[in-house]
Amino acid sequence: MNKKLKSRQVVFVGGGLMAALAARKLVEDGVDVLVLERGRDHDAGAEHRLPSQRDELRWGVRNQLAQDWSIETYTLRYSDKETALPIRTLAAFLPGEGVGGAGNHWNGQCFRWADYDMQLRTRLVDRYGAAAVPREMPIQDWGVTYQELEPYHEMFEKLFGVAGKAGNLRGEIQPGGNPFEAPRRSEYPQPPLEITEAGVILSEAAAKLGYKPFPMAASNSPHVYVNPDGMRLGACQYCGHCERFICESNAKGSPEVLLYPVLKRKKNFEIRPYSHVTAIDYDAKAKRVTGVRYIDLETGDQIEQPADVVVLSAFTFTNTKLLLGSRIGEPYHAATRRGVVGKNYCHQTQSSMSVFYKDRWINPFFASGSSQTILDEFNGDNFDHSGLGFMGGAYIFNNTTNGRPISTRPLPPGTPQWGTKWKQASADWYSHAFSFSTIGSCYPHVDNYLSLDPTYRDAYGQPLVRITFDWRDNEVKMSEYVTRKMVELANASGATIVGPGAPRKGPYDSRLYQTTHVVGGTPMGADPHTSVVSPHLQHWDAENLFVVGGSVYAHNAGYNPTALMSAIGLRLSDDLSRYARNPQRL
Amino acid sequence: MSKEPQNHDQDHESAQPASSRRLFIAKAAGVAVLLPVSQIVRHASAAPAVLAPGAAANAAPAAPNAGYTLLGPEEATFLEAVVDIMCPADSLTPSGTDCGLAVYIDRQLAGDFGKGGRMYSQGPWIKGKPEQGYQLPMKPAEFFKAGIAAARKAAQSRYGKSFDQLAPADADAFLSDLAGGKVVDERLSLADWFSQLLYPLFQQACFADPVYGGNRDKVFWKMIGYPGLPAFYAQDMVQYRGKPFPGAQTPKSILDFS
Repeated sequence: MNKKLKSRQVVFVGGGLMAALAARKLVEDGVDVLVLERGRDHDAGAEHRLPSQRDELRWGVRNQLAQDWSIETYTLRYSDKETALPIRTLAAFLPGEGVGGAGNHWNGQCFRWADYDMQLRTRLVDRYGAAAVPREMPIQDWGVTYQELEPYHEMFEKLFGVAGKAGNLRGEIQPGGNPFEAPRRSEYPQPPLEITEAGVILSEAAAKLGYKPFPMAASNSPHVYVNPDGMRLGACQYCGHCERFICESNAKGSPEVLLYPVLKRKKNFEIRPYSHVTAIDYDAKAKRVTGVRYIDLETGDQIEQPADVVVLSAFTFTNTKLLLGSRIGEPYHAATRRGVVGKNYCHQTQSSMSVFYKDRWINPFFASGSSQTILDEFNGDNFDHSGLGFMGGAYIFNNTTNGRPISTRPLPPGTPQWGTKWKQASADWYSHAFSFSTIGSCYPHVDNYLSLDPTYRDAYGQPLVRITFDWRDNEVKMSEYVTRKMVELANASGATIVGPGAPRKGPYDSRLYQTTHVVGGTPMGADPHTSVVSPHLQHWDAENLFVVGGSVYAHNAGYNPTALMSAIGLRLSDDLSRYARNPQRL
Repeated sequence: MSKEPQNHDQDHESAQPASSRRLFIAKAAGVAVLLPVSQIVRHASAAPAVLAPGAAANAAPAAPNAGYTLLGPEEATFLEAVVDIMCPADSLTPSGTDCGLAVYIDRQLAGDFGKGGRMYSQGPWIKGKPEQGYQLPMKPAEFFKAGIAAARKAAQSRYGKSFDQLAPADADAFLSDLAGGKVVDERLSLADWFSQLLYPLFQQACFADPVYGGNRDKVFWKMIGYPGLPAFYAQDMVQYRGKPFPGAQTPKSILDFS
């Protein structure tokens, strides 16, 4: 049945972290807000309760909090000359589903990006000359500065009780923090989490090499914490069931714990689960959107929901898919390098190695998602790239988020795959091993982009998003460099056995988890020829359409994206509030 | 949290080693409350989650020894022989079959995983790079059965007898060849079958919670020292940082809290 509903003032597509942050000020101001979310409310489910929450197979291996690939997946090819194939069980990254989105099953790792990241093109050209950025790499400035975002970073950290150690307070470098940190006005609202034994080992090795390790900033609350909205986080139990899981102790900063309960108290806020949005209604002549179409999964009805303002706040691919499917903005074409929608798609360049210590008790099960110790010396443009032949970098850290034994059981090289020797090696090393990893930048490349697949469709009959992506020269060289630095660190750490450090190489592997930090497709910027949305996230071709989330990133750094995305989301909340009072181009 | 009269839980708790008398957490409206074990009470299912180890342990059903819901007798015989090669009875664990590994695999294949419940299953079907992942129209359960048939046939033709009749050294060598792509079937890649399906299921069977039928009696968790549930380590991670953790000797599973 087709139904047309009463018009609403602001309609969000996607009920995750971004909608909850961007709706804040609007709801406070009394603006009428509706959020459409395709999935369910997770609050009362097995995913949120003991003992079922501690089920590695269900949540950690079968990824049952992530998107259901039988309904919708993505297709993958490596260049635009190939036919893309559907990724039938995707493991490379894990979009969420349901209220809270991927904000339920994240690790809580919080990074402010470097102060030059938003002006990356300017930075690299100023430092290395125009030739440093090849034509194949459409690195661009984002049209917003770190200084503009700093108050929103601070606000997010307070809302989410972020635990950490400042490295740079108003320009003064602080011992124990990240010396490369962008200047902060205030210390983190909570002290850092407890260090793990693996972090102790990393710190000892770093000291030998003259590096400055620091605790990762975490939205895993070390203590009971009450945020400025009066919302409460429990204390982290270091249970090792964080990423891919919902925190049963409510200790992980999550939209369903901290944000939606506040919004739901207000009469002018509504969230509708089981609402799968299929299109945005666009009046190309007027250059305005008029509402959205969705399927009510509980009734099967096709709903037309008119709106004064539409905000796309879904995961990276869905934002791009809705713009392409609704024919808003010019699709990007790799052959001509014209168009914008789908451009600057980036993943994140990771590498790992196993390290083994006969006489140290790692106890890998004592971990939160963010209780790690890291080095920033070889990240971004924190080091001189002259003569290196690549741009970007990575942070290096002890990647100890859990000891879940199906997946986290490093074995020394040469261990057989089964039999008594395999069992013996598992018994000998389980508590004495962990991984070092690098999490590195992925800068845009003209051949990496998103488009609509011509063949494969989702369960609702709509084209799947097609990913054209591979690791290009810049990222391959960067990964070789930072992986070498990681191996040097491992060699300095007194390890009994050092596993091989394998830098990231193509072909891009859809079977291998490599962070959920997939960004781009609707990049922001000051130039409508190279961006989809303005620096205020307003669509260039529809003044009353906004886009927020990972899709607006113009590149990916060697930093996790959530904290920056949240600062951007909170800034959008102020912008939307202004727009609601006085609708015009911001 | 009020103290309520304890009944059979008391006896069970007094039998717990001192190391498991840790503090447990009850979550009430987002507030973490620390409770000593002696104050832990069981709540109705709608109440905030409160855990007491062994609260219902006496009532928890033991994993059944056998009983296949998907595999036929010859398939099950083959699979039992495979898991007994991959997990021989030794000083570390009983045999794979006795650890429940074949039962685990059968149940997974019979359920949502085997049916490809969360897999995208629309055509067309085109062969791609390995990195593009599984691209066959067969659901995992069907692929598994087809792989068993191909492997049984290959073993029969190489040795003149069925896989389960082979001497352990021959069976082990055959599996190595199969995993290494040296056992060739005309229609199906046995190396892919092994690496994409059998081997991940084998590892899960060993290390997943025993609630799924494998890892019987938490034998693999005990072997490596994985403490399992409830995993409230706020104090332990400081007290036992860099030291052996006593709780790793007596792991608890979902069954112990169900």
